[in-house]
Parts: sequence; structure tokens; C-alpha cells
Amino acid sequence: MSAILETRDVVVRFGVLNAVSHASIEVVEGRVTGLIGPNGAGKTTCFNVITGLQEPTSGKVFFEGKDITNKNPYKRARMGIARTFQKLEVFGSLSARENILVAAEQRKTWDRSGFDPNKVCDEMLAKVGLTDVSEFMVGTLPTGTARLVELARALASNPRVLLLDEPSSGLNEEETEEMASLLRKFVDDGLAVLLVEHDMSFVMGTCEYIHVLDFGTIIATGTPAEVQANAQVQAAYLGTETVEEAS
Amino acid sequence: MRLKVSPRLISALVVALIVLFLITKNWGGASVNAKTISSFLVVGIALGGIYAITAGGLVVTYATTGIFNFAHAAIGCFLAFCYWQLTVKQGLPTLVAIAITLLVIAPAIGFLLDKVIMRRLRDAALVVQLMVTVGLMLTFMGITLTIWSPKTGRTLPQFFESSKGVQLGDVTATWHRIITVVIALLVALGLRFLLYRTRLGISMRAVVDSRSLAGLTGAKPSIISGASWALGCMTAGLAGILIAPETGLVVDNLTLIIVVASAAAAIAQLKSIPMAFIGGLIIGLAKSFSSVYLEWGTDWAYADEAIPAAILFIALLFLPMARLETGKIRITKRTERLTKPWEAALGAGVMIALVGAWANGWIPWISGTTFGERSAVWLGRGAGFMVIGLIMISLIPLIGWAGQVSFANFAIAGIGAVLFSHFGGQNGDAIGIVFVMLVCAPLGLMIALPALRLKGLYLALATMAFAEVADKVIIRHPNMLDPSATGVLFKPVNIFGITISSDPSDRRAFLMFLVVTFALLFFMLEMLRRTRWARRWIAMSDSPAASATIGVNLTTTKMMVFMLSGAMAGFAGCMFGLQRGALSVDSFPLFAGLPLVLLLAVQGVRYPVAAFMGVIGLASFPALYEVLGKPSWLSAIELIGPGIAAIAMAYRPEGAVFYSGRDLAGLLPWRKDARLEKELMVAKEREQNIGKDEINDMGLTRPFTPDKVAQLDRVLDITDLVDEKKMVPTGGAS
Ligand SMILES: Nc1ncnc2c1ncn2[C@@H]1O[C@H](COP(=O)(O)OP(=O)(O)OP(=O)(O)O)[C@@H](O)[C@H]1O
Ligand SMILES: [Mg+2]
Repeated sequence: MSAILETRDVVVRFGVLNAVSHASIEVVEGRVTGLIGPNGAGKTTCFNVITGLQEPTSGKVFFEGKDITNKNPYKRARMGIARTFQKLEVFGSLSARENILVAAEQRKTWDRSGFDPNKVCDEMLAKVGLTDVSEFMVGTLPTGTARLVELARALASNPRVLLLDEPSSGLNEEETEEMASLLRKFVDDGLAVLLVEHDMSFVMGTCEYIHVLDFGTIIATGTPAEVQANAQVQAAYLGTETVEEAS
Repeated sequence: MRLKVSPRLISALVVALIVLFLITKNWGGASVNAKTISSFLVVGIALGGIYAITAGGLVVTYATTGIFNFAHAAIGCFLAFCYWQLTVKQGLPTLVAIAITLLVIAPAIGFLLDKVIMRRLRDAALVVQLMVTVGLMLTFMGITLTIWSPKTGRTLPQFFESSKGVQLGDVTATWHRIITVVIALLVALGLRFLLYRTRLGISMRAVVDSRSLAGLTGAKPSIISGASWALGCMTAGLAGILIAPETGLVVDNLTLIIVVASAAAAIAQLKSIPMAFIGGLIIGLAKSFSSVYLEWGTDWAYADEAIPAAILFIALLFLPMARLETGKIRITKRTERLTKPWEAALGAGVMIALVGAWANGWIPWISGTTFGERSAVWLGRGAGFMVIGLIMISLIPLIGWAGQVSFANFAIAGIGAVLFSHFGGQNGDAIGIVFVMLVCAPLGLMIALPALRLKGLYLALATMAFAEVADKVIIRHPNMLDPSATGVLFKPVNIFGITISSDPSDRRAFLMFLVVTFALLFFMLEMLRRTRWARRWIAMSDSPAASATIGVNLTTTKMMVFMLSGAMAGFAGCMFGLQRGALSVDSFPLFAGLPLVLLLAVQGVRYPVAAFMGVIGLASFPALYEVLGKPSWLSAIELIGPGIAAIAMAYRPEGAVFYSGRDLAGLLPWRKDARLEKELMVAKEREQNIGKDEINDMGLTRPFTPDKVAQLDRVLDITDLVDEKKMVPTGGAS
């Protein structure tokens, strides 16, 4: 299996801080790839590099074998990269339906398959279970629901790769489970998913392959079992656990 | 290897060539010798020093509070007048007067502004932040003009005016100039020291990034932001006092220094104080160079005054592209829903009916006044208000939906009016209107072009600079508007059998024509709001980063809305010309365009109906004067109107239309949702405005006194009310 999306030796420096150093990540079609790591490890920064919101200091990003490092964010979206955000980036003054519709209509600019944006929108609403609240301004929806709107919006552009940044934060247990089963469904449809997540049972249950970031460096890659057994990973996580307990 | 030429280098070369061309073309013939050079330097450095002080203060306020203060120079102007009052009028010694002005009045203004207004704006939308300070600027201008009537001339003496100054080569540097330069240096060093070496300064810088971070440094956030504003006002006042002897105590001139300060702030990328000083110096030197060496000729008589604006535009070209930031969106709670087509049609009908009924005398109300009798004067005024309404409505898609704060539309309308006088207007040819719209659409785009890739604030600066250039340079060029041709520039135009012109006999028909076109535009905008274009603009405004990641090309999306707005402003301009009949060179000053944007923003810049409410608001003052017989309290209200508007916006950021709409809906027994949402929104606002400040101010340090706990409880209680679970929408969407 060859990777559909790949970062090679990506480095991002903010002043003196190496947010990401020489991170190489591979995302393969038809499976969920995990990207985990303690707070501030550089996961979101990696997402920003992949989607073009953050220019890397060095390193390259490849999509379907093409170098997209210098492409505009919107061009990457048109190639088939979609994402959600850790801190909500919904269109708060549009309704849930309109949020998704914007993405579906935008897809018209590059997808000539003659689909009906309104229909796509209905499908997506049904898929994530938002049909009931579709007419509400997203600004008035609770965070968990708004997160689903973001997910549906990302899906509406019919991406090849979907990047999810902590999709379970703001969701309760039940909703998290639903999210996990949704993810499985997308992947079975051939989507490639890169998942950043703090909920370990969620990660271990959904990901087939995991990259572990710590202080911007990939310290381990492998299947969930391999990663869990890795001593370095345990150390990294133990370190944060103690911090969390203290706070 | 391919030769890679950086686009910046190319733009630098192009700019340099243009500047060289302008210099050679307008060379005044003064020989370049030690004398001219030293006078160029002495004047330039002194002027630059003053600009540097005011720009430095502006940048400090922005960097520490996140709010760009358009009122900065207006406050400086007010303080300069205060100083004049104290020295010249009351005869106080200079130093005492300076101390009172800069150490008492200026900080008082700063703390008051912070306490009453600015603190609430921290999380407000850009348009609200900007419009509040524009409102303040107009208020300070108004107050100054009222207290110190412009009819009497005033001069502020220079420092040590009687003594000779210092001989530098062939020129004398007056003590005033030398003091200016010394003070500028001291202020620069002082600000630098304050912000980087003192606890207060470091907290000031921290506060803009993170309120909680500032809490850690141990200072109260409210004191920190108050100090920032006080500091800003002090620098503004200092600059005002120093420059007034050179430019004269003239409100407009002193307030326009904001354009200079903005240009320097743009050079400083809004954050670097040393660069703000260098920027100020560059502008001072450029102006002095122009006055010593260049001769602009009668056609470009005012080109000199456009130098700061031009420098601003050049600075924008070289600023690095803005990152698409994430995690900064503000989720506000709104009960907003799409207007249905029949509702929009009904609204348009009501507008036509209302104006039509008044114009045709179907309202038998308040007769006995010229307003009630609808004299020709009043019909003309009514048409004038509708024209302003047309300009305001052109801002709805641009500012309200796409979030692009532009102050240029009044200037575009001005250029449109002038163009129409050349093409079509003189012959009463309606095709000219179409032509003007076709020119104004790309014009709107061109103004925005340098700022498209930058933060929204730069666009506001660029459009303001353009408005100034349009007024001073473009419209005053004899080929555009010949000052000697004072006659009627526009012949009556016949459209669909209606003759429209400024002629008294045509005024009623013109007014009806205007209200019908206005209502049509209103309806079109409401329909446009339901299309993918408006959706995309709003999405772009709500979250540029998310828009880009779903494939929206932000540049072209912005371009579209600028063209639409430009065309609408061009149309409004043609109507402006027709309504006035004649134009004078000073018909379109920057200060006349700003109140329109403010008025619209107060009404609610996202809602097309707000433009109509703005028209009614405009008409209400003169109408009340007529009906009530010119009471003096009314003129007082009119004077501080912008100030009231500014404060209203700080507390009611969505605009009057929104709140009154929601409250009206809440009165209907079946609109429980509107009542519930109002409750939630009010609670949410309280939490945002008070909660954080109170917690921060308490510092959450031991010991926890009962007072503190009670206060904390109250804060948390409010937070409880906006608990997410209660936010789940109940009932059907309506
Ligand atoms: N724009 C920026 N400027 C400066 N530093 C930044 C910027 N964005 C992120 N950082 C820093 O880079 C580091 C990595 O941040 P990032 O958000 O990628 O971490 P993360 O793994 O997503 O963490 P979390 O689990 O908390 O979301 C952090 O130390 C952060 O403070
Ligand atoms: Mg993150």
C-alpha cells in the first residue's frame, strides 16, 4: 500500500521553539491513521502544514505523489484534503445547513460530476444526525453539535483524505462512540483518515496505524499494540499524566 | 537553475521608478545645495518627530489592547485646544499647562474610555471595534468645534518663539523644532523602556495575547488596559501640542494626522514601536522634501497632502502575507434567520408606501411645518437622504456579510458622481449611469487590492487613505471637477418615463424613483443573501481558515464583493450628482463619509433594512428641528450623537435592527424562542464582559474573603446560566 498523503522531514520553527522537527507521517487510503502525543507535541501544527495554513520551515508534503508544499490551502482542498479543527471553526452566523451547503457548492468548482449540492447537504446532515437542527444558526448550537457540523462540512467536499483534530472533545461518551462508528463507515467507503485524539480508548479502538509525536519529533510508529508497548511512548505519556494529576 | 526574481524586488523597483518619475516631473527647480538640504532635513526631522510620537502612541495602544484607535488624532486635537485654553486664554505658565493637559486631562480621558467603552470591545468584531473609535473621533471633533468655534482664528505659539534658535549651517533650527526632536527621542526611549523593562509594560504586552497570562504577572487587567489608553491619549496630546503651532489650530488638519499615524503604524506592522518611529520620520522627511524641492502645479495642487496615504499604500505592498489564523473565532449567539421572499417583498413594499405616503401628502400629520407640508426644500432633502441610503446599502454585502471594513464607498460615490457629470450627466443620458457603475466596480476592487492578502484592519486603513486621496487629489483635479465651472452639471434624466433631476418640479418624482430603486436593491440583497454568493462571503468572514480548507479562493471571493459594492456605490454617486445638480470640490471629504458607515453600523451592518433605518435616522434630526422649532437640547444631542452611537455599539454590537427585531418578536406570545434566546444571550454577554474581568481582577489569590467568594459565586452563577445543555435548541425552527 502506498501512502496517499505524506509529510517528509517537516520542520516548523516558531522563533526558538521547534514545534515540529523532522516529522514524517504517512496516511494510507482505507484506514484510520492515528497521530497522538502529549499537549503541545505539535499535532495541530502538523495539520496546519498539511492543509497549508502553516508554511513549514523545511520539509515537504506530498499528496498522491505530487509535491503540494507550496500550494494554497484552497487548492489542496480542491485536490481532496479536508479537515476539522481542534478549536471550532464553524461559520457561526450561518445555519447548520448553510455551513454544509457552502462546502457542497464550493465542490462544484472542481467536481464536474453533476451532483446536486442540496442533496449532498441533506445526505451529510442525515449521516451525522443533524437533520433536526439544520435550520439553527451554528453559533447557537452546543459545542458537540457544532463539531458534527464541522465534520459534515468537511465531508461535503467529498475529500480523499480527512484530517480530524480531536473530534471527541466536547462530546459525551455516547457521542464519542457514534463518532467512532461513523469513522469506520467513512473508511470502509475508501476514505483515508488522519486522527488526532487524546481519548486513548477511542484511538486504540479505531486506528490501524499510529504515529506518536513528542516535542515535535516522531518517537514511535506502528500498530496500536506496538505503540502501546513502546517504552519511549509510555515515558512520554507518563510524563504528561503526572502533570495532569497535579493540575 | 531557473532565475527566481522575488515579487517584492519587482514591486520595489516599480515603486522606485514611479517615485523617481514623479520627482523629476514635478521638480521645482530649487537647487540642491547645503542650504536647501539642511532646511529639508531640519523641517523633515522635526515634523517626522511629531508624527513619530503620535504613531508610537497609536501602535502602543493597538499592541496592548488590540484596538486600533481612529480617534487618536482627534483626541490629540482636543488636547491641543485644551492646552491653548490653558496657556493663551487662562495665561498659565507653559509647563503647568502642559502638566495639566498631558498628566491630568489626557490620562483621565484614557481611563474613562477604557472603563466605559474599550474594555467591552476586546472580543468584538473588527467592524464594531473600528466603528466605535470612528464614532469617538467624530465626537471629539464635534466637541472641539463646539467649545472652540472655528469662526475665531487661534494660534498656538511655539516654544521659545522669541529666541532665535540654533544656527545649523545656513538654516536656523528653532528651539521649538529642537525640543520636538528631543522629546520624540525621549518618548521613543521611554516607551521602549516602559514596555520591555517595567512590570506594568510587560503586563500590558501580555494582556493582548491572553488575559489570563496577564493575571499571572500580578497586575489587574483593568488597570493595565486603562494604562494603555492613558498612555495613548498622552502621546496623542503631546503630538497635538507640538504640531499645532506648525499647522494651526484647525480641527480638520489636526484630526487628519490619523492618516499619517496609520501609515506609520502600517510600516510598523502595527506592533513595532521603533518602526513606528522610523515610519513617522520617513513621512515627515517625504513631506518636507516635497515642500522644499517639488512644485506640484495647479492640476495637482493638493498632491502634497496625499503623501502619507501614498506611503501607506506602498507599505501595504511590502507587508508579509497574513497567516490564516485559527482558534480566534468568536461565537456569538444570534436569533437570526433567513428572510423569506415574501417578507422581503413586504418590507420593500412598506418602504415605498412609507416614503410615498409622506411625499404625496397622504399623512395628514404635523401640518404647519415645512416638513409636514413637504415643501420643495424638504422633497429635495428627502431625495438627499435616500441617496445616502443608497450609499449605505452598498456597504451591506461588503462590511456586513464579507466582513471587509471599507471607508471608501463615499469616495467611490463621489468619483462616480464626477464621472457621471462627464459621461451622460450633461446630456441627461441614462446610459451614463451604467457606464459609471462599470467603472466603479473595478475601482472598488483596485482600492482593496493592496490589502486583500492582509489582515482586515489594513483594509480599513487603506480605504481611509484612499478616501483622503480621492478628496484631495482625484476629485480636485481640474479634469475631474473644474472649480471654475459652477453651473449645473447634470441635466434631467428620463428613465421609464420618469424625469429625475434636482429641479423643484421633478423632486417628488425623483424621490419616488429613489425609494423604488432603494426598495428594489433591498429586495435584491435579501434574495442575494439566500444564494451561494452571500453564503460564501459570510463563511469567509466568520472563518477565513475554514473557508480556505473547504476550497474557497479567498482572493477571488473578496474581489467579487468589492466589485458589487463598488458598482452599487457608483450608482449611488450618479444619484448624488443628479440630486445636487452641481458639485463643488469639497463635496466628498473623508469626514463626511465616515458618519455614514457609523450610522449603518449602529443600525446593524448585516441587515439590508438597516440602511433604511439609517435614512430615517438621518431625516429625523432635521425633521424634529422643523417640528419642534430648533430646541438647543436637540443640537446638543446631534453633536454627541456619534459618541452615543459609539457607546451604543460597544453595548449592542449587532446593531439596533437586530435587538429591536428580537425584542419585537419576543413580544409575540408564540415566540417563546426569541425570549429564551435573548435571556441566554444577555447572560452570555454578562459572562464575557464581567465574568473574566472580575475573576482576573480578584486575582484568585488567598485569602479568600467572603466578599471574594460571593463575587466569584455570582460570576460562576452567570456562567451556569449559559451552561451548554441549556443551549440546546428547543422547539421548531422559526
Ligand atoms: N502560531 C504559533 N506561534 C508560536 N507558537 C506556536 C504557534 N502555534 C503553535 N505554537 C506552539 O507550538 C507547539 C505545538 O503546538 P500544537 O498546537 O501543534 O500542539 P498540539 O500537539 O496540537 O497540542 P494539543 O494537544 O494541546 O492540541 C506548542 O508549544 C505551541 O505553543
Ligand atoms: Mg492541537
